[in-house]
Parts: sequence; C-alpha cells; structure tokens
Amino acid sequence: MWRTRPGVAALTGGALAVLALTVLPQGSLAKDTVKIAWIGPLTGALSAHGIGGRNSAELAVKLKNADPAARYNYELVALDDECKPNVGVQVATRAGSDRSIIAAVPHYCSATAIATVEVYNRFKLPMVVWAAVLPEITYGKKLPEIHRVSGTLIGQNKVGAKFMTDLGYKRFVSLCDTTDYGKSMDKYFTQFTLENGGEVIGKFGVPPDQQDLSAELTQIKDLNPEAIFFGGLTPLGTRLRTQMVKFGMDQLMEGQSGIIGDAFINAVGRELAEGVLSFFDSPRVEKSEAGKDFIKKYADAGYKEPYEAYGPFSFAATNLVMDKIEQAGPDRAKVTEALAQVKDYPSAVGPITFDDYGQNITPLTTKFVVQDGKWVPWEDSEYATGKRKLNRQK
Amino acid sequence: MTSAQRAAPWPAIIAAFVFAGMLAAVAAIDNQRLVIALLCVFAVVWMAAMRLGVLARVERSAGQYPHALRGAILLAALAAVALLHEDNFGLLMIATVLLYATCCIGLTIQLGYAGLSNFGAAGFVGTGAYAAAVFNWLPWLPDPLVLVGAGLITVIVGSLLLLPVLRTRGHYAALTTLAFGIMFGVFVDATPVLGGPQGLKLAGITLLGWDFSNDIRVANFVISFYANYVLLALAIFALAIFIASRLDRSWLGIWLDSVRLDETASAVFGVNIGWWKILAFTAGNFLAGLAGATYAQMMGFIAPNNFTLADSLMLVSAVILGGIGNRWGALPATAILVLLPEKLQFIQEYRLLLFAIVVVVILMASPAGLVPRRIRRLEPGVVA
Amino acid sequence: MDIVAQHLLNGLMQGTVYGLVAMGFTLFFGVMNIIKFSHGDVLTLGAFGALVAAGLLESAGLGAWPQILAMFAAAVAVTAISGTEIARFFVLPLRHSPTLNILLLTMMLGTIIRECLRLFFPNGGNPQRFPALLPPGGISFGRVFVRYDGIILLAVGIALIAFVQWVITRTRFGLAVRAVAEDEETARTMGMNFTRVVRLTFALGSGTAGVAGVMYGLYYSEINYAMGVLLAVIGFSAAIVGGLGNMWGAIIGGYLFAGLQTIAVAIAPAASEYKTFFAFLVVIMVITWRPTGLLAERRSERV
Repeated sequence: MWRTRPGVAALTGGALAVLALTVLPQGSLAKDTVKIAWIGPLTGALSAHGIGGRNSAELAVKLKNADPAARYNYELVALDDECKPNVGVQVATRAGSDRSIIAAVPHYCSATAIATVEVYNRFKLPMVVWAAVLPEITYGKKLPEIHRVSGTLIGQNKVGAKFMTDLGYKRFVSLCDTTDYGKSMDKYFTQFTLENGGEVIGKFGVPPDQQDLSAELTQIKDLNPEAIFFGGLTPLGTRLRTQMVKFGMDQLMEGQSGIIGDAFINAVGRELAEGVLSFFDSPRVEKSEAGKDFIKKYADAGYKEPYEAYGPFSFAATNLVMDKIEQAGPDRAKVTEALAQVKDYPSAVGPITFDDYGQNITPLTTKFVVQDGKWVPWEDSEYATGKRKLNRQK
Repeated sequence: MTSAQRAAPWPAIIAAFVFAGMLAAVAAIDNQRLVIALLCVFAVVWMAAMRLGVLARVERSAGQYPHALRGAILLAALAAVALLHEDNFGLLMIATVLLYATCCIGLTIQLGYAGLSNFGAAGFVGTGAYAAAVFNWLPWLPDPLVLVGAGLITVIVGSLLLLPVLRTRGHYAALTTLAFGIMFGVFVDATPVLGGPQGLKLAGITLLGWDFSNDIRVANFVISFYANYVLLALAIFALAIFIASRLDRSWLGIWLDSVRLDETASAVFGVNIGWWKILAFTAGNFLAGLAGATYAQMMGFIAPNNFTLADSLMLVSAVILGGIGNRWGALPATAILVLLPEKLQFIQEYRLLLFAIVVVVILMASPAGLVPRRIRRLEPGVVA
Repeated sequence: MDIVAQHLLNGLMQGTVYGLVAMGFTLFFGVMNIIKFSHGDVLTLGAFGALVAAGLLESAGLGAWPQILAMFAAAVAVTAISGTEIARFFVLPLRHSPTLNILLLTMMLGTIIRECLRLFFPNGGNPQRFPALLPPGGISFGRVFVRYDGIILLAVGIALIAFVQWVITRTRFGLAVRAVAEDEETARTMGMNFTRVVRLTFALGSGTAGVAGVMYGLYYSEINYAMGVLLAVIGFSAAIVGGLGNMWGAIIGGYLFAGLQTIAVAIAPAASEYKTFFAFLVVIMVITWRPTGLLAERRSERV
C-alpha cells in the first residue's frame, strides 16, 4: 500500500503533521530565560575537575533561580572542551555565535583558554575564567571581554620558590609540559628560584599526553637534584610520581595548582602521594562565611562528585556573571561594561576586584602538602612542626 | 526503463534545491526535537523518492544536464546563505561540510578511482593546515597564494611517500599511509616551532582586499561573516568536483579504473601503472591540503589534535558511506557525519561509536558502499 | 655510556611488548592472509578485564601474587575469547574480500571496542590506575638502575615468546597451523579442520596480546582506553618489517622498533619526543627497500 502514490502522499503528509506538532509552543514562562555558557573538561583525563566545576556552576544557577527577587530565569549551557585547545576553540565559537548566550564562564585548562581568548573577543561575548591560571590569558592582550576570578601562576611560583629555598632546598630540576601553561610555569619557577638563590640544574619539556617518562627520568636521576618541580596537569603529574618511584628516585616532588585536588591523590594512591608539596592561589575556603555556605549548599544538593579545587571559583564566577546580568540586563555589551567595574565583590573565594586587564588581584597563595591522603595546608600539617619529614629535607 | 530515454533537466534542479534546503534547515534549527522530527521527515521523503523511481529520474537528468545541475546547486547554495544570513554557527557548519566533502573527493580519487588506500588522510589535511599557519608568519603573502601554496606543500610532502606507495602492495601499502598519519601527529606535537600541543593561531582570509572577518552589509541586510567562507568553500568544492569529473570522464579515468581493477593485466597491456598512481595520489593530496588550509584559516586555530587517526578513519568512512568512487556521494555522507553530532547533542559523545557501527554494517552487507559506482557504460545519456 | 645502557634497558621492555603484539599479527596473517587491526583494542580490552579481576580479588582480601595471576588469567581469557569471536563473525565470512575492506572492517571493530570502553566503563575516558603489585625499586649497577619489575616482566615476556615458538614448531597443533598457513586448500584436503585451526590460532595470538597488555599495565601502573591504538600500529609495522607470516621476523621487528626508539633517545636526549617519528621513518625506508619485509618468504601471486 505504501508503494502507491496515494500511500506515499499519505505518509509524507503524516510526517509533516508530526513536524508541525513539534513546532507548537511549549507554554510560556513568567520570567525571561537568560542563557549562560559554562565551559570545562567534562570528559577525558581532567573530567573530575570539570565535573566539579560544572556542578558548582549549576548550584549557583539553581540557587539563583530559586530566588524570587531575581529578575531573570537562568539556564546554564554546559559545554565540554575536553581540555583540548582545538575543541575549546570549537565550543567557544559555538557559544560566541549563539546570540542567545549572554555570557560565558570558561575553562579549567590554560592551554585551552589561551587558544580561545580571541574567539570571545571576536563575538563580543563577555567571559569570566573560573580556573585557568596562565597569566597571558588576561595580560597577553587587553581585551574588554576577558576576565578571571582565579589567580595567575605568578603568585604561586613566587611564594613557592621562596618557601622551598627557605626550607633549605638548593638544587632543582624542572619538568613541565610543552603547552604555553607548562612553559609559563617553567619561566616563573626558574625566575623566582634563581632570585632566591636556588639552582635549576635541568629543564625538561614533555608533551602532556606522553606515557613513558623513562628517558627523562633516567637523565634526571643522573643529575641528582634535591627536588623536582612539576609544571603541568594531573594526568602527567600522576605519571611522573608513579614512575619516579619505580626508578627508585627519592627526590621531593613539588607541583602547583594543576595537581591540587582529589584527582591526583586518587590516581597516585595514598602511599605515593604522601609528602608531595604544592601551591594554590586560593583563600582557605572552609574558613570564610561565604565559603562555608558554599560547602554546605554543595553537600545539601547531593552531588556525587566532589567540587574539587576550583569548584568554589566556578561558583563565584557564575554568581558574578548572573549578578551583572541582573544589574545591566541581558545584553552582551552592557554586561561587558558592568564587568569592568567589579570591586570588592563578595564571593565564596573572598572579595573579587578586577584590575584594568580583568584579572582578579586578590587571591593569596596557600601552601599545601599531602598528608594521609588529603591536601593539608602547610601550617596545619605535621611537616611544619617537624613531626614528619619531606623527602630530602635537611 | 530504457537508458537511452532523454530526460528533462528539472528533476535534477529540484533535487539540488531540496537537498540544499534540507542542509540549511538542519544547520539552522537549534531545537533538538525539531531536528529529529525533520530528519524523520527527510528519511520518509527519501524512501518515498526511491520507491517512486524519482531518484533514478534525478540521476538520469543529472547525467544529461551536468551544467543545469551545477547551476542549480550554486543558486541553491546562495539561497541557503541568504536564509541563514544571521546564523553564524549554521554557516560555519555548512562551510565545514563543504571542506570536509572536498577532502573526501580527494580521497575518492585515490581510493575510488585508483584503488590506493590512504589511512593517513588527516595527515595530509593537517599538512595543508600547518602550511597555511606557517605562511601566516609572512603577512605579505596574498591569501590565494597561501591556499594554493598549502596545497602544493601537501603535494610535495606526499611525494616523499611516493616511492613506498608505489613499491608496495596491499597491507604493506596500507602501512605506509597509516605510519605517515601517525608520524605527522607526533612530529607536529613535538616541534615547538609548530606550536606543539598548544597549536597555532591563524588570521582569517583576505581575498582581493576583502577581509573575511567582516560581515557583509547590503543596505540594512546583514550577512554573517561566515558566509564569506561558505562561498569560498563552495568554490573549492566546485573545483574538486571539476577535477574529479574531468579525471573520471577522460582517458585518464579509464586508465585509473584499469589500474584499480587489475594491475597485472594493465601492465601487460602497457599501461604505466606508476604514472597514474602518482597522478591520483597527487591530485587527492592537493585537494586535501587546500581544504585543510582553508579550514585552518576559517577556524583561526589548529592543533595536532585536529588531525588524528580517528579523523583519518572518519574521512575513509565518509567515502565508504557515500559510495566508493561516487564523487557526489561525499556531500550527503559528510553532511551526516558533520551536522548530525553537532545538532543532536545527545549523540555527540557516541558519534565515533555510531559511525564505526554503521561502517561495519555497510562493509558486511554491501562492500562497495551505500551507492555503488557503476562501471562506466558508454551509451549516451547515462551517468558514467 | 651508563646512560646509554639505561636507555637500552628501558627499551628492552618496550621491545618485548611490541614483539608480543607483532606475533599476533603475524599468526593471523599466516593462517588467513588477513590483518586483524582490532588486535590492539582487544589488548586494551584484556587489560581492562585484568583490572576488574584484580579489583575483585582485592576486595576479597587476597594478596599481590594471586591478584597478578588472576590478572594474567583474566586478560588471556578475555582476549582469546574476543579475538576468536571477532574472527568467527566478522573475519572468516569475509576472508575473500579485498584487503582494504578487511583492514577497514577490523579497524572499525577496534574503534567500536575502544569507544565502548570509553563510554561504558566507569570513568572510561580517564587513565585507570593499574595496581602496582610487583615489588618496587631495583638494583643499581653503578649508575645503571635495573627495576625489579622490569626483570620479572622481561622474563615473562621472553618465556611467552619461547612458549609460542615451541607450540608452533614442536606440537601437532603448530604443524596444523603451519600447514594451513602454507596452503589452505591442501590442508583441508588432507583432512584438517580449517575452522578449528583458525579459531585456535586466533585464540593463541590474541592471548599473547592479553599478556602484553597486563605487562604494560604493571610496568607503567596505568592503562587507558586508547593504549591499543599506537601499540597496534607499532605491532603491525614490526610484523611487516620482519615479514608477514614469519614468527621470528615479528619478534625481531618488535625489538628493532624499540631499538630505533632507543637510538633516537640516546642520540638526542633533549629531543626524545621524536623517537616514534624516527622509528616510523626508518620502518618506511625499510619497506621501501624491501617491500615484502626483511625476512619474508618468497610468495607467488595468483594473476
């Protein structure tokens, strides 16, 4: 029956009717909906950080939507950049070219963020970075759309280098990944270490996906430093730690914000993670009122995954963006203008103030050490009192 | 249905407009439920067309009036651009589909015409893209030269592989291009000058003084700047079709077919196998490089991750999906491969899995592809 | 000189893994004249199976050595079964198709396995921590450090190679495999059960890959869903360089590839990321010079 012309016509007509039905409006809402894009690594090796950040952003949106005083209803469009620069450019282009998206809260990975900066500028989409710490993201070019609530890696390295030399370490080797992030880490680490009287006796650049580090570790072992500085992200850091132990190397491993979080400790295991040092540009979230409030609300919301190191920053950035939209209206240009005037904005990570380049200048660096499977601030740890000793500590 | 019947030009023209309309509609619509509904409608219409013999009429008509077909496609494309004039991302995707299809045509020439397997296609596309990125450092070089230059550089790099490709058969030949694809990725990832894993940024295209990052403004009518790229991609696609059809419908095509079907017999009859393989390999690489360079400048950014083994396999899948040796088949196949995952977000993650399954099914059921290419029949009025 | 020796030791492990993978390729080719490119992803499947087995045993409270045995057993079982079933359903029916089709088909099958692991295994997209069950540390000879786990794994690998060689050359089954590899029609005429021989060969070849996967995981304490891709390409190149169908060729090819990588690292330690590029370059040059491999048997082509 379907082969005859009337049969086919009926089928086609039926299909068109289905089409028409789906176009029917689905009812109207009381408030206008405003879309905000959130971008981070939802799949791949960094997904723990991405999912924590997304959950935190969703939490902010949920709380805002439950607030009757809000002028608008917010919708979070979560996009996955897979921590890859090219995918980041694609999703940033997608967010930018979608006129219904008013603002963006992008990127955990610095390599991805530095690739997408011009895209936001091209589409005039205001954005507030929630995690990436590469300085050039805000300081490379002065672009009105670019802002960041997390710190830059300059601060962590300055504090870190002084701290290490104060502890008595003199001979360092730097192993960083070959993205702009790793290169910047290496640059500032070396600069501040030399300023403080230390020596960097070897430098190694490794692509972030490289699996086998035997070649590099063989050479490092030969150089016999006291500490190895790692400038990269959790997956590579995991490999460094596991493999250096297999080679019988007892150097201290010091990292930076890239390895802060449960992901690194879970991947490496409690035993191997013990005594690893790191530096993180964040206030003690559990000590401030706003921070404690965030932690409580996150737990109440019932997310399975932890909010990870930068969750509070993601929460703060999303709230900031929404408040500016409330203030200036759902218009990209007006929101960009409003974001230029952020001073002492109260948030889960402390007061946020943007300088001329859109960079938040308030974060302070906290020193962390892994103790019993958790990142513990140095001052609170047994290493500070001398009860436990770091590798190669004098 | 006698093959010598003279057909009218209008089935082909209408088919062109319908296809362009479908493409534009899917590209423009954001609502996922609507897209799915639309796709179901199109599937129904397609099957209806097959049953009623409409497709056969379109093919006959297209074969007899190639110029009408091409004119129709051009007009339809312009209409689509006008329809989508404000939709940035939709236009970007259409341009991507056209460029991807160009790569597939290059691959069709290598695989479908000459029988050369190429599992490193993404490496050649990447060579063109990186060539364009390097030319970017010489801002005095005009963009048309950059594009052609990128194509030529891809040809040169490809020619380094000619000796192994010519000397090996079967599995050994497959290894050559496979290894090249991997070598390209490793090389670019490890070389800081080429950006390493961080990738390279590129400026957009400027042709004859017109900067492609400017929106087109006609009175109060604003067309997104991506339309510039759509038109350029269309021109490049047209060039690819032109090259492929000239190759196919000539004595070169006959010799390529002969080489593909039976090398030993061809050699016995005095066909110089080496030359024709070189021709096909080079032509395919040129198109791949050209498309890669254009894509790179359109996106403004490339990284080694854009050109992996998975991407090479996707390109080969598209060629198979569209029918090996069918140069027009590349377009609908690419449209499916590129548009569907973007539009149907929920399959975005499963994209590679789904396409692998589809290719396996096709290879098991119909090894020559979805729309197998008929070996040339040299009577008038039939698509050869 | 010491540092070169260290690089050499590092390369030895890699070479054994490559050799084991290449052996599989060569076995499959010998018996059926096809390349089963899903071999690498079957290896990954085996490694994930081993991970699951170890996890189960660990929660049951068993120690390191039972876990290791369970891992190898699980990996061999998973790979042997999947390898054989793939052969049965996809490769055997299509074995007279053009080369390209089978290559592509098996590549796509491999992709399906890989994507399924990534999508459906919990956190499949992330690197998985492989339990570090072998004794850590090692012994130092001057400035050369020899890892204990390296020694153990090397011994296992070489033992396995020797075992497979013994099976192929000294057993009746091996005789059957060689007969089928030589000439399918004659072997069938002589009363051999072709299908059974093929299935067992696939089981053997895939099983060695399973062992290789566990070795890899134990050495690096990490596996991820994409680890089979590069291993497959390298194993394939190694098998080809050594001459498809030649067992010794495959093993030599594997060590050759690792050797090339080691040379690249030793010559230019600062540019060690190029080692794979360099090795493939030499491979391409070798097959250009000898298009049928280094140790290839002479073969005739039916015209």
